[in-house]
Order: sequence, then structure tokens, then C-alpha cells
Amino acid sequence: MAARLKPVDVVTIGVGLTGSLAALELVKAGLKVVGLERGAPRYTVPDFQSPAIHDELRFSIRKGMMQDNVKEAMTFRNSFDETALPIRRWESFLPGTGLGGSFVHWNGQSFRFQVADFIYRTHIEQRYGKKFLEACGSELAIQDWGVTYDELEPHFDRFEYLLGVSGKAGNIKGQIQPGGNPFEAPRAREYPTPPMKEPYFGALFRRGAESLGYHPYPQPSANLSQPYTNPEGLELQQCVFCGFCERYACEHFAKASPQTVILPALLNRSNYELRTNCQVLRINLDSTRTKATGVTYADASGTEYEQPANLVLITAFPLNNVRMLLLSGIGKPYDPRTGEGVVGRNYTYQTTGGPTVFMDEDINVNPFMASGANGTMIDDFSGDNFDHSQLGFIGGQYVGAIMTGGRPIEFHPTPPGTPKWGLEWKQAVARHYNHTILIQQHGTSTASRLNYLDLDPTYKDAWGQPLLRITFDFPDNDIRMSQYIADKVVEIGRAMGGKIVVRGGQKRPYTTTEYQSTHTCGGAIMGDNPNTSVVNRYLQCWDVSNVFSLGGSAFPQNGTYNYTVTIGALTYWALDAIKNKYLKAPGPLVHA
Amino acid sequence: MSSGRFITLAGFTAVAILHIGFGCCALAAESSTRQPDGARGAVIAAQGVGTGVPACAQCHAYNGGSDGTGAFPRIAGQPVQYLVAQLQDFASGARRNAVMSPIAKGLSPHDLAEVAAYYANASAPFLPLKAGDQTLIKRGEQLATFGDESKRVQACNNCHGPGGAGEPPMIPYLAGQYAHYTAFELQMWKRGYRKNSPEVMLQIAKKLDDQDIQAVAAYFQQVLSSSRVAIMPKE
Repeated sequence: MAARLKPVDVVTIGVGLTGSLAALELVKAGLKVVGLERGAPRYTVPDFQSPAIHDELRFSIRKGMMQDNVKEAMTFRNSFDETALPIRRWESFLPGTGLGGSFVHWNGQSFRFQVADFIYRTHIEQRYGKKFLEACGSELAIQDWGVTYDELEPHFDRFEYLLGVSGKAGNIKGQIQPGGNPFEAPRAREYPTPPMKEPYFGALFRRGAESLGYHPYPQPSANLSQPYTNPEGLELQQCVFCGFCERYACEHFAKASPQTVILPALLNRSNYELRTNCQVLRINLDSTRTKATGVTYADASGTEYEQPANLVLITAFPLNNVRMLLLSGIGKPYDPRTGEGVVGRNYTYQTTGGPTVFMDEDINVNPFMASGANGTMIDDFSGDNFDHSQLGFIGGQYVGAIMTGGRPIEFHPTPPGTPKWGLEWKQAVARHYNHTILIQQHGTSTASRLNYLDLDPTYKDAWGQPLLRITFDFPDNDIRMSQYIADKVVEIGRAMGGKIVVRGGQKRPYTTTEYQSTHTCGGAIMGDNPNTSVVNRYLQCWDVSNVFSLGGSAFPQNGTYNYTVTIGALTYWALDAIKNKYLKAPGPLVHA
Repeated sequence: MSSGRFITLAGFTAVAILHIGFGCCALAAESSTRQPDGARGAVIAAQGVGTGVPACAQCHAYNGGSDGTGAFPRIAGQPVQYLVAQLQDFASGARRNAVMSPIAKGLSPHDLAEVAAYYANASAPFLPLKAGDQTLIKRGEQLATFGDESKRVQACNNCHGPGGAGEPPMIPYLAGQYAHYTAFELQMWKRGYRKNSPEVMLQIAKKLDDQDIQAVAAYFQQVLSSSRVAIMPKE
């Protein structure tokens, strides 16, 4: 029998981006908050210091910062008539663990979603007619979010200023700004810090893209271009372009992460308590199953505790948010055969791909001098920025020369036809290492009725609980979209001076054995109808009003961009409602 | 050194290398045909030049090891690009120094590159110096290798290399550098006299108190000799 601990006001399940941000807001409001983190505590000093932090074998290859999939894996299959098997080695996506979560090992690519993303179904139907979506694919299941860009704008602004994002505004209150992204959603003011310096590969991309009439702009970055003090009084330092961002933590206090922009302001509060190495097993419900009484967790020794709380915030990695709901019996699980149920539906991912551009030997790219988000890119093919009426698909991708490091184990581009090993391979690597530019295509993932998350019937974790089962493949719509853009990007590669341009674009079937993106979305989606969403527009569970599920799991489908900043804005939005509405009158904030 | 300069280089070295081979911009502007080989630099080090530049060796010694007072830094074996950048910064005033600024101004771009090349290739023994305070050195080692979370200061070695061995082309070695000099320079940043790394070294220096500055300086002065004891066979 689990020991029952002293009740607290709030528990967060996970202490990453959403968990630390939510806790800071509620601790400031005077509540007693406990943060339960399954992983270890870790801080910039001493844990992230070099040379240990630049251990490519440990962090990039052996995934040193990721969820321990010996203890806790996920299973995967492409379609529901297959048998799912456990993912024993993370490749496709990288769920972080430990204090700070995935917000520690991210690249710092800091975009806002666009206006149309939040009203996606309405927008597509208005622009192309009600039959267009059906023609793109009868399985497509896109939805509006239940919140609009205008409602989120102040929260986007606040989150960007928390991070100190380096960028150049393209649209301030509707006025297009030279040097920025003309397709950007309107923002209230400039970015907190100026854009990163443009690397050589970015300058070449800019030249190629401009020659074709596109609109290049500097990628917004949370690895900062200059020292910055955020509104919590925490100082960030300037990025030194070491080329170890994604899969690593920053030793320089230069990348926004919980450790740099949130935790120091939180951990010194007497009404906050951090408990690490604590695995939450379930949310406990009362006999009506409409109210949570707290959570049960196991500490590092396996001892179980019951932590009563008035408010439970699920703030784990998006996939694990969905699993927590399923393990706790909150919300009706989705069934793809009947289309009924909500928990697990609209699981989406991110379309990626992009060409490799091999340059002349006199073009020295120096890929090792890089940062996680210092690309030059275009939004001409993002989202619905181009006319789809004759194309037979929805969605889009951004395109950019975004090289985040030239690390020796991972980066050795060779042209097609090169042997995979041996002398010729080595010679080709030496020839091309410093003369190759990678262009990214990165974009929308359209929700499908066939893609979903549920509990695996066979495989269990170290605590004896069922693993999460992922059933996913890219809808054909997304393949057509990405392949259409791939043709355009080959032209850019040639315009940059590429001697060999290897065409990219998303392919299917989706595989979990190649890195693509860590942006797993949906499964606990938000909306205005409890029959088609798990949480309401404030991320509050329809069925259990004192449980909120924060994060990318709430996205009804994925937009073009890297999703961290939109998760941050959505978290501030939800916390604003919790502080100003829910705490005054606990109960459902939206009546179905 | 100038980390600001390093950042600029990070963005544009590719272009620079493409055009001039080795990132030595002042030289490229002056002469694109003759590379500095340090031969003339050796003469300048020994004799100075007629335009009011005394022999470098008067303070830095002919081998670049300077003397044990620590009033002048060791410059032997520092990266050539770093030495060029410092001389340029002395000349521009980004690094204010009553002695070095007039000297740097008196060097033509070509002589500046020559003398930098000479000292970059020089080697000098590490002088036997009195052992520092062990408590101070221990604190210095902590700052150098791990930093200080409460002050939000990262490890010096992140940029200056393991054991402060330097990260060429733009980041100098600190290992074996005279403590007096290292401490003095950190104070120069902190007090605003040294402006050539406003984005990095200024930010770090202002977070260090006087004790921390003494500690890192004391640590780096002895780090090379202790590692030599550990790894070098007795002669």
C-alpha cells in the first residue's frame, strides 16, 4: 500500500518545458506545487560542461539524454492490422528525460505557428471549398484548435521574451518588415534580440533562393546572438557556434532551457518542491471518476507514494501525456474501426526531407561552426502560403539551409554511388565534408483517422504497466505535398551552385529507425467538442476538470514549424486561464 | 582575445579562407603575395622598428616567455590569429594599454603580421615559480573545469580547451600563463578598460569576484607544470 503524503495544491507530472513553466506561474500565485520528474536532476554546472558534454558517442549515438527504453519503451507499427514491436533504440524521435526534459537537448529553432494553423479546417474549407479536403484523402481528419492566433499572440510574445529569441521580425502589427519573413504571423513587437549572424551556407542559400524570387530570412533562434536578461531576471550568454545543440545541453548558458530561463527562478521558492527520479504511475480519480485526487508515483527505490493534490498537470513528453491519460482511465480511448473515442486520436508527426547539395571544392562550408538554429530559410512553401487549388493536397514545408554542426561521427556526406565503407568512402568523405550543404524541408503532418495512440496489449514497462503503442504512417497527401516541394528545392540547390543535388522529400512507409523529428503531436488534442477532443481550449480535460494536459499532445494536427514556441505560448495561455478563471471557481471552464 | 571577433569569424571565415588563405585580414589588404614567415618578425622582436617601436624582447623576452614577475604575459606559442587580433585591438583602443597601444600603432600591417608569426612559432620554457595557495588553486580548478552554477559562470575550459590548452585560431592558451597577468586582464574587463570581448569575457569577468579572479589565475599558472609532472618522463 502506497504511503499517503501530505496534500499539496498542484502536482506536475514531468519537469520540462511545460512542467517548469506551469509551476513558476502557480508558485507565483501562492500555491504549493510539487514537480515530479522521472529522471535525474541536472544543471548547467557541473553537468553540462565540456569536454564531457561534447561526447558524440554518448549523446548523439547512444542517446544519453533520452528516455531509458530499457525501462520504458514504446511500441510501433505502421497500421492497425500489424503487430507492434517495442522501439529499443530511439532514432526517429528523441524523447528526453531528466530535469528540464526535451527542452534541454532541443536545437533552439523558435517559430510561431501561423494564423491559419489554428483554424485549419475552417481555413481550408473557406479557401478551397468543402469538398477539397475529401479529395485530398478521405482519411484526413483535420480540426480547428478552439483557440485563435490572436488570442495566443500575447502569450507567444511573453514566451519569446522569456527565451530571448534572436530573430528579425517580418510582420509587426500587419506592417511587413524588411529583412524578416514576410509570411510571418503579425507580432506585437520585434524579437527580443537581433538575429544570429548568417553562416556561409546560409548566404549561399539566400543568393540561390533570391535568384528564384523567394523570400529568405534568418531562422529565429533560442541560442542567443547576444547576452540577454529575461523578465525573470535570468541572464543568458552569447552562443559561440560550437555545433553541439541538438541531442546536447549548452555549457555556455547560451541556449534557452529550463535550466537557463526558468528553474533558477523556481527552485528558490519555498512553496515549490522538486522531486527527481520519481516515476508517476497513474493519476488517481475519486469514485465519480470526474475528479482527480492526486497521483501515485514510485521513487528510485521502487517505493510507491500517493501524493494528493487539488490540481494535476500532465506535463510530460507529448507521447507520455497520452499514455498517462490512458493509464489513468481519463477519457474514452479512440478506436480507429468505429471512429469513436478521443484519447489517442489525431496522432501526428512532422514531414521532413530535403536535398543534399554537393558544392565545388573551393566552397568551404565549415559546417562545424554552427548553432542549432542559425539557418537561412524561406516560407514560400510553408503551410497554406501557396495556392493548393490545383495541387490535390494540403499543407506545406519550410525550406532552409539549416546546418546544426559538422560532428565527426554523424556528418560525412557522400554523393550517390559512393561505396558505404573502405578507401573510396574515406576519400569521398574527405572530398565532400567541407563542401556539402544540407537543405531542410520541414512541414505539416496531416491528421488521419488511421493514425493513433493506445496501450500495447503485450509489452509492459519496468513498473509492470503497458507501453504506449504508436500506429502511424504518413497519409499519401503528405507524401504528395513533400514531393511537390522537393522539386522546387532541387532548383534552389542548383541556383546555389550545387554540382550534384540529391533530391529529398518525405517518403513512406514511415520508419522509426531514421532520425526525422522529435515533434510528436496530438493524441490528447484540444478542441471545442468533447466528442472530437480530449481537452478544451484551455487544455483542461473534458472528463476530469482538475486535470490539465499541457504540451504538443494538444495539437489537433502538426503545422509547418518546430513546435516548442507554440507549446510555450499554449502553456502560458492555459496557465492564464487556470490562474484567472479556474482557481477562482474550480470546475469545467467550458461547458460542453 | 576577442570572442566577438571569433563569432564574426564563425560566420565568415569560410569566405575569408576562400579569398586569402588564412584569415589574416590586415595582411591580405597590404600584400596578397608575401606570406609572413616570421623572419622579419624575429628582427622586430630583437630590435624593434624605427617608428617608435622598441624591441618586443625587452618585456616579452626573445623567446616570448617574458619574465617571472607576471607584469607581461607569455606570448610564445599563442595562435598567430589571436596575436594579430590583440595587436590590432591595442592599436584601435578596443584593448586599452598605455604601453602596448603606441607600439601596436607603430607597426605596419605587414610588420604586425610578421611579429605575430614569429612569436606564434616561438617556444619558451615555463619558469620555475613559487607554488600558489592550494585552497585558491582548488577553487580555481573548480571554476576552470566546471564553472559555478550559482553565479551562472561556465567552465573556462569550454572555450580555452582542456587544461586551458587554448583553442586556435582565436582563443589563447591559459595554461602556464602568469597569474598576475591573467588576474589583471580579468580586472580590466570587469572595470571596462578592455572592451574586445564584450559579449563573452566581459560577461564572465563581471560575475567573478576578486577572490574568484585570483583563484582562476593561480590555477592556470600552475596547471601546465603539474600536468607535466604527471605525464612527462623525468629528463
